[in-house]
Amino acid sequence: MEAGSPAPRHLEVRGLVKSFGPERAVDDISFGVPRGKFLTLLGPSGCGKTTTLMCIAGLHRLDAGEIRVGGVAYTSVADRIFLAPERRDIGMVFQSYAIWPHMTVAENVAYPLEIRKVARAEIHDRVADVLRLVGLLEMAGKLATQLSGGQQQRAALARAIVYRPKLLLFDEPLSNLDLKLREQMRVELKRIQREVGITSVYVTHDQAEALVMSDEIIVMSDGRIQQTGDPHDIYARPANRYVSNFIGVANLLPGRVVRVTAPGRGEIEVQEGAARVRLPCRLGEGVGEGAPAVLSVRPENVQALREDRGEPRLEGLVLQTIFLGNCLDCRVRWGAFEWKILAHPRYLLRAGERVFLRLDPEHSLAVRP
Amino acid sequence: MAEPVQVERVAAFDRASASRRWRNLAGSLITQESVITLGASLVVAVAVLLPLATLIVSSFRVLDFLGFDTHWGLDNYRTLVSDRIIRKAFLNTLFISTGSMLLATVLGVALAWINARTNCPGRERLEPFNLVPFFLSPFVGAIAWHNLAAPRTGLLNAWARDLFGVRGHLLNVDNLFGVIWVTGIFFTPLVYLFVVGSLRRMDPSLEDSARTTGAGIVRTTLTVTLPLVTPGILSGAIIVFVTSAGEFGVPFKLGVPYGWETLTTQIFSKAVGDDANHYMGATMSMTLGVITAFFVWIQQRIIAPRAFTTVTGKGFRPNVVDLGGWKWVALAFNLAFVLVAVVLPIFCLFVVSLHPVWEGGIIPADLTFWNYQKVLFFWRPDAIHSATNGIYNSFILAFTGATLAMALALVVSYMIHRTKGAGARILDFLCVVPIGFPGIVIAMGVLVTYIKTPIYATLWILLLGYITRFFPYGQRNVSAVMMAVSEELDQSSRMAGASWLTTLRRITIPLLKPGIFAGWVLLFIIFLRELSISIILYTSGTETLSVGVYYLANFENEPLTAALSIAQTVVLLLCVVVFRRVAGREALTA
Repeated sequence: MEAGSPAPRHLEVRGLVKSFGPERAVDDISFGVPRGKFLTLLGPSGCGKTTTLMCIAGLHRLDAGEIRVGGVAYTSVADRIFLAPERRDIGMVFQSYAIWPHMTVAENVAYPLEIRKVARAEIHDRVADVLRLVGLLEMAGKLATQLSGGQQQRAALARAIVYRPKLLLFDEPLSNLDLKLREQMRVELKRIQREVGITSVYVTHDQAEALVMSDEIIVMSDGRIQQTGDPHDIYARPANRYVSNFIGVANLLPGRVVRVTAPGRGEIEVQEGAARVRLPCRLGEGVGEGAPAVLSVRPENVQALREDRGEPRLEGLVLQTIFLGNCLDCRVRWGAFEWKILAHPRYLLRAGERVFLRLDPEHSLAVRP
Repeated sequence: MAEPVQVERVAAFDRASASRRWRNLAGSLITQESVITLGASLVVAVAVLLPLATLIVSSFRVLDFLGFDTHWGLDNYRTLVSDRIIRKAFLNTLFISTGSMLLATVLGVALAWINARTNCPGRERLEPFNLVPFFLSPFVGAIAWHNLAAPRTGLLNAWARDLFGVRGHLLNVDNLFGVIWVTGIFFTPLVYLFVVGSLRRMDPSLEDSARTTGAGIVRTTLTVTLPLVTPGILSGAIIVFVTSAGEFGVPFKLGVPYGWETLTTQIFSKAVGDDANHYMGATMSMTLGVITAFFVWIQQRIIAPRAFTTVTGKGFRPNVVDLGGWKWVALAFNLAFVLVAVVLPIFCLFVVSLHPVWEGGIIPADLTFWNYQKVLFFWRPDAIHSATNGIYNSFILAFTGATLAMALALVVSYMIHRTKGAGARILDFLCVVPIGFPGIVIAMGVLVTYIKTPIYATLWILLLGYITRFFPYGQRNVSAVMMAVSEELDQSSRMAGASWLTTLRRITIPLLKPGIFAGWVLLFIIFLRELSISIILYTSGTETLSVGVYYLANFENEPLTAALSIAQTVVLLLCVVVFRRVAGREALTA
């Protein structure tokens, strides 16, 4: 992350620690979200992302750390401040949607306004507005149990934004939908969030969701932050082996940086079984000369050629090819390693062929193991 | 993300002063939720543990010969071992509990299998009747069976004499076998409920695969079906054993007058009888309680958890066994059960209640409703006064008790299921404890604890006894629904800006309404027929309905007793109709 004056942070999380019994679910993490931005906490289940969200919501108490929204301390262990969840003015969309089955859609959405003692007429207008925004106006009188999954999702969103909260939290809201609906709702959610402009924190284990929706992504594992960055950064410049493996597909070869040629550039030596080669590459953060590193190359950045173009030479055997229409998914054995390659379909490679792999040094990254 | 700018910003956060910090802490810890849930936990802990603790302490107090002074010692326990009457009472209790356990298990398993897994005709219609005894008072059942099968005045014996010329008597229930008979048939629904649930939830492919290997229906039933429901059968059997050991009304009616004492009737006589000795009563209660709690512990911790390892919770359509011509035998068996457990007792009580005096035979010319007028509407300064008084008190107790117990059950269930940590586990345990102790034991504990406080001799002490012993049943009804309702429904209300209490009122309670109401009606029924707690804790003026029946049975004649019994039964049956409307059949298995 480059230095310089960052945008003022609307949500500020500092030194957050939360344990369940002896186990630290969240282990000293800090981050911030500028006003109106969309941040995603991404990681596998059990990485602490939902716990972090629950701490922000005030549904969990912290063991250490501080959470501020708009400069106001919501939770501060040092100052012994804990604001009850209902006094935080935060909207939240739950994994199960949590649409109250004993109320209609309109009653669900009106509920937060009733709690805030908004006048009847105004409640009516605002509920209608927000239901129109999420496309549920015709369903206003239906009971929650009569809605489909996608509609419950929209109702939950409407209920969370109708009172224009200071912060919007999403806890894996799309994980219960089928694939097609999920893809559609990603775009929809993002559009609505942008329209209402509420600062949002989104929790998911689905990397595609994170890449599509976020202004910024935090990759988490074991209660710690692995990397923070915008979607492009995270994909193109993973900070370490974990992130590289978790986001997208990557060929990961452990090796050692043998030479630094220029700032941020060098050569890595990788060995797999009998095969060994030195490859020019970019150096990720914290990777220096002599250090053990992992070479990370995306399948689309590997070319498989029939002719030998000289050093560095990576000669392999095509094990399997799958024709996917717009590309060709190949597996190539090199030493003990199996390369994943996405080739242009015009290279009609066949299993059993000998090929020479070429890597683009610009897109070969040596990362921390 | 370690930009220096950020570090400065943190340093710039003004740190609160020490006193402010403590005020912040207090403010964040003292919330509606913490005050109410901690308060309820404290109430439960005190209500459950105090009587039991006092019972233990009291059992070591020894009353001296003249009954004036006490000292510490083990004399009560020595008496327990050496006293012939108590030893006999203990053996009788063991005999009755074992007998009624065997009877109820055989009947309950057979009925459950017939209803859940065979093509016996009319089984859907019969099921509610199989469960009716569960809701009625076993004490009234004993009175009814006394009128049916007492050697001289039993209606069945009279018929046997008149129709078949039997000399002397055909049946006699005024002995230990009579006690076993009545407790057995009245507790059959307990086994039935435990077993029928497992039978209905069983994955049919388990049996299908046995059939495909070549096993016939009988073989499959005996080698696959029954073993799979064994945990359910054992649970039911243990609960019947324990409930029979704690039953007071039946042995009191059919045993005591004929020289058969049990532990409960002995405790009763130590509590209020001529040889009253509360410390001795406490010692006997402790002994009974330790035995029952041990069995309930085995059932809860070892047997009940196994019920789910083979039987999944999924909704299957269970296999139905075609009984062929035997289905009429099954139907006859089921009808016979309903006849002896429900129809005959109620019919007999009704017939008896219409006679001015009961001599064992129906005298059509004498039939009158005068007894009902006497027990229900007449206020006279004698035993009947207690009866009328009891009706009034029981309705107050049942209504208030069910309401308070469900309020407590709601908060306690919330604590158990919505908060994590040691508190929830302790509370969960405390909610099982009262189930381990018979009502009469809890009542003895409540008596020795509160006898010197102002609540003694008021309805409050009865209320306390009722709620302590029975609120777990309400709590289980609420818990069952609460487990099915996602926590996120509550949380989203808090996020929407509603306080804990508002969330409880507008979201949690409406969603739990079926469970809360089912629990309420169940407790209302239990409280309306309650005898073994009331009999220990009542005093003149705080009689209950069942105490009224006891009074009439002891000091008035059979027809008056029958009239009040019928009145109680009618009210209970009405409640059962309501209960079946609001609760699924699973609600009872708790």
